[in-house]
Amino acid sequence: MDKLERLLNLTAALLEAVRPLTAEEIRSRVPGYPDDKVSFRRQFERDKDELRQMGVPLRIDEVPGSDPPIDGYRIRKQEYQLRDPGLEPEELAALELAASVVRLGEGGGDEAFWRLGGSGGDAHVAGGDHAVGELPSPEPLAALFGAIAERHPVALRYGGLDRVVEPLRLHFTRGQWYLGAHDRTRGELRSFRLDRFESPVRVERAKRFEARPAAPSGVEPWSIGDEQPVVARIRVDADQAVWAARSLGPTSIAEVADDGSVELAIEVVNRAALRSFVLGFLDHAELLEPAALRTELVEWLEALV
Amino acid sequence: MSRLTAGERAERLLAIVPWVAARDGVPIDEICERFDITRTRLISDLEHLWFVGTPPYTPADLIEVDIDDDRVWIRYAEAFRRPPRLTPEQGLALVAAAQSLQAVPGADPDGPLARGLAKLASALGVDGRVEVDLGSVPAELLDVLRRAVAHGEVLELDYYSHNRDARGRRVVEPHRLFVDLGAWYLVATCRSAGGVRTFRVDRIHEAVPTGEHTSTVPPDDLPSDAFRVGGTGGVRVVLDLAPSGRWILEHARCEVLDDRPDGTARVALIATGDAWLERLLLRLGPAATVIEGPPDLARTAASRILARYRSTPEPTSDAAVRGSSLHP
Repeated sequence: MDKLERLLNLTAALLEAVRPLTAEEIRSRVPGYPDDKVSFRRQFERDKDELRQMGVPLRIDEVPGSDPPIDGYRIRKQEYQLRDPGLEPEELAALELAASVVRLGEGGGDEAFWRLGGSGGDAHVAGGDHAVGELPSPEPLAALFGAIAERHPVALRYGGLDRVVEPLRLHFTRGQWYLGAHDRTRGELRSFRLDRFESPVRVERAKRFEARPAAPSGVEPWSIGDEQPVVARIRVDADQAVWAARSLGPTSIAEVADDGSVELAIEVVNRAALRSFVLGFLDHAELLEPAALRTELVEWLEALV
Repeated sequence: MSRLTAGERAERLLAIVPWVAARDGVPIDEICERFDITRTRLISDLEHLWFVGTPPYTPADLIEVDIDDDRVWIRYAEAFRRPPRLTPEQGLALVAAAQSLQAVPGADPDGPLARGLAKLASALGVDGRVEVDLGSVPAELLDVLRRAVAHGEVLELDYYSHNRDARGRRVVEPHRLFVDLGAWYLVATCRSAGGVRTFRVDRIHEAVPTGEHTSTVPPDDLPSDAFRVGGTGGVRVVLDLAPSGRWILEHARCEVLDDRPDGTARVALIATGDAWLERLLLRLGPAATVIEGPPDLARTAASRILARYRSTPEPTSDAAVRGSSLHP
């Protein structure tokens, strides 16, 4: 029998099974497997890998009442079936265009759209091969995404400590992926940089945690810190004003002068980060207030002269 | 037709079957277009479904496929009533892509992408849990560049060169847009400079199509990393870093020449412009010593900035009271 038919029959049999099926039951029920046990085993192992590559969630559970315990196989419908997101055609097309413009790792992506009801149009053509941004896809990223969606705790080693965390959100900024999570071991909410994980992640699939609100979103470096908050005012010359306003958002602009220069007002709890930000403008910007920070900046520069 | 494995064909059928089964006769052409499959392959794959069903595989347990008058009907495919859900890889790729375009300033918060993203994220259970920040590039600008790359349009850019600390207009033939180190870049042949240059998109103030279409064949070895922003070449710089200066290891592409147990390090990096190196040295301050490279850069840059501070009146300040605690 054809391998395509065997894979589909295997998937259907495992989906419709009311309890985990033993390998022996699969051999005798699903058409297309050899009678010889050794060749069956070999072929069944290959088929299991194939199902996983197809993105079919194959579960291995103990067969109830078996003694000694025997592994059984099944596909749970609630884990297999797509929850219909109810996408309108133009929404699907917009997603498809986005996926053709920004890719994650090397992955293709057509398969995802088949599952969502097929391609809406010629989005791949519009995106072309040229206009592609590629986000890095480090090893634990997909596993963490799955754990966030399913609310599974994750064990990992970070900063020299074995931890169990409740993963809440993924954030990509300044070229790096961060995991925002509730660290059970330390009892705190914090960010972990994915490239600094010291072990592979282990998703604890048997457990689920209570949903919590996602951690606050990513912030500028000068607002990560524990110093007394102060409001800094910075004058930025006209030439650089557009860029400064773009990167900080319109709410940070306190004043626009006639010559096109702007005055920014931002709250700061990390003075060193503010200094780096202001120095990035070279002599096109000036820290006006607070006076103490201005003096510190001048002293920093004087030490270099 | 490329050769697909049985697994890849099965994966596509798992999506096609529920979609067709939920409808009353679908034109073959429509299936081919939606699922990116040739007619011959589709019909041959559908014929296999005749032999697919659930135990005990009596005729009543098998899927029924009718192909008639260029339409397809699929019945009794109860096991495949719904398509498989997205794998974490697929779900994340989609959400991240949509999120990166939706996060740029000027993206329509009620547009199809925003709505599609919200529905998808909610169905996947990841509402508001993935955020992608690719720098502050306005949506319209990205659109202009994307179109120019796709259609070979010549652009006039108003660009601020971070490396040279100079702003100016130039005419470019765009070749490629890419993301690296968390920001968008444009690779283009710059007619003013007479060569291929890499531009950081968030430093483009304005991009206006000139109406001309490019005739230049892009060179084969276009840069695709942020390493060569501004141009090719650059000056090798060797720095000694105090422990407090080690952050540049994550910030810039540098080669660690010596990593010492006391936390200090000697690193080499390529500076693509004086202004770029000035910024780096000013930020590092006393944490860096230049071992190889332009010796006076930090000093002259610091003097230039200090001149600005001295030319404006000291704001009414408590600075005098604070004394002169010099930074380390």
